Amino acid sequence: MIQKSIQKSGKMEHLRIDSILRKQKIKFKLNGKDTEAYEGETVLAALLAAGQKKIKINPVSRKPRGALCGMGVCFECRVTIDGIPNVRACMTEVKPGMIIETNDKK
Amino acid sequence: MIKNNSKFNVVIIGSGFSGLTAADMCAGHNLSILLMDENIHLGGQLLRKIPDNLGEPPDQKNDPIKKTGFSFIEKVKEKQITLMNKTVLLGVYEDNTLLCEYDRKKTLSIKYDVLLFATGARERFLPFKGWTLPGVYSTGMLQVLIKSSGLLPAQKTLMAGSGLFLYAAAYEYIKNKGKLLGIMELSPFFNKIKFLPQVIHQYPKFIEGAKYLSKIIRSRVPVKYRRQVIEARGENSLQEVVVGKVDQNGELISGSEKTYQTESLVVGFGFVPNIEAPQMAGCRLEYSQEKGGWTVVVNDWMETTVENILAAGEITGIGGAHKSLNEGKIAAYRILEKFRLEDTDRLAPVLKKLQKERQHHLSFVKCFNSLYKIKSRTILGIPDDTIICRCESIDMKSIKEAIQLGCNSPNGLKMSTRCAMGPCQGRTCAPVIYDLLQVLCQKDPKEIGLFSVRPPFKPVSIHALNHPYKSESPKGL
Repeated sequence: MIQKSIQKSGKMEHLRIDSILRKQKIKFKLNGKDTEAYEGETVLAALLAAGQKKIKINPVSRKPRGALCGMGVCFECRVTIDGIPNVRACMTEVKPGMIIETNDKK
Repeated sequence: MIKNNSKFNVVIIGSGFSGLTAADMCAGHNLSILLMDENIHLGGQLLRKIPDNLGEPPDQKNDPIKKTGFSFIEKVKEKQITLMNKTVLLGVYEDNTLLCEYDRKKTLSIKYDVLLFATGARERFLPFKGWTLPGVYSTGMLQVLIKSSGLLPAQKTLMAGSGLFLYAAAYEYIKNKGKLLGIMELSPFFNKIKFLPQVIHQYPKFIEGAKYLSKIIRSRVPVKYRRQVIEARGENSLQEVVVGKVDQNGELISGSEKTYQTESLVVGFGFVPNIEAPQMAGCRLEYSQEKGGWTVVVNDWMETTVENILAAGEITGIGGAHKSLNEGKIAAYRILEKFRLEDTDRLAPVLKKLQKERQHHLSFVKCFNSLYKIKSRTILGIPDDTIICRCESIDMKSIKEAIQLGCNSPNGLKMSTRCAMGPCQGRTCAPVIYDLLQVLCQKDPKEIGLFSVRPPFKPVSIHALNHPYKSESPKGL
């Protein structure tokens, strides 16, 4: 039941490893919606925890893409942060008040 | 602090094991040292931990080599070293000049007397149908997310690929309560046995491997050998993975297909050295399957073929932390000697010992990389509609057709198909394309050569190019 309701809301809070005592909860905007994350996480981690696996549409094939390498090599996790396009989510720390837009609309 | 056009005695690119070691050893001799890294934190890919501002991780027992590495990070922070994280190297130019981008917003040029490349390695991929679907992740991404952000990429996953790192990633995933559906290893089981005599000599690596395996066995995760991912399927993200069995020649056995329902697939096929920057600097490169592909040529002193440029760590051959530590030390001694801060005669016995140690590491490198050799049949068997270059969405068919038309070099292929022209600049697809050209043209890797490299190495915004870095700007540019 709980699992179902989690899946419905799209939130993947349970992906956060629970043995870590997290310090500061922060809020950012993901595609216009208020979203929570923890200070010190990368934007990529915050997106995955918010259930946002699909990060962009490939400009050539128009097919959905998500992060692949997680270490700044593949550029598949490019998002727009505070108006700056093509920022790698995996190489950026999530900050309070950040405005993050994924580019996953066809 | 640092200004645009600053000059440093020593500039070190990359703060992994070898970069950190060299920085630590060069400090304290009145040299100006700059250590730069693209990542948010120092430490490279191996020395990752939960950041202090994120939270307290449970007590972790690090193995001795990692403890040494983490202690370097602390030491380097306290010493007279200019540290620049979030700094991307964009170009290496004549007259000892580098162009860098800081924190996405500003660019700066830096001059050096001596440059040390410690740019490390990235993951190698073997494309399969559907590998572009969201939900297909690399083993590196799994490790980075767990270790740096305390997050599992998915609650349940399947793993596929080859080599030891797959087991390291599996260990980390199971330990953090991830549900692992199975490990699909491409190479046959006897490869591991062949590897044993080497590992036993490398005592710490043997212990590490045993620790991973015992955890995997105790968790009853099925490990299957000679398995290849045929297809990843799903609408908007991964839903199921089809895996097949391959024979000794690497050919798929028809009828052996099995489908796994999973929203995530973690793949890893070993590593490739990050040689783009040394390549542009004009350092000689060599192709060596034993060392992990194209690597930087160095002498016993870790000097490249370009004066005042040294290289250490994974870029001289994929071999892990111990090798990087050793090479970082040798490079540091050479740098100190160059500035006449160490006496050549006094150093001789120390260096001799380090160089002997290095030979030992290199023999491990040879064995380690042989595990990752992908059979030509496997490469040829990639279906026509499989994407090879992800950025530009170029499929196997287009690449094959271009090769048939006579584009038998990386740059020829690039011009005719646009492969390796996207934001990643071929970092993901180049190793696959080199393998493809080798198999389809039946040519030597040396003959095939490499994609040419031009600045900027990585995408940079016009805004950043237009805003030179100023550290103490009163207007806060």
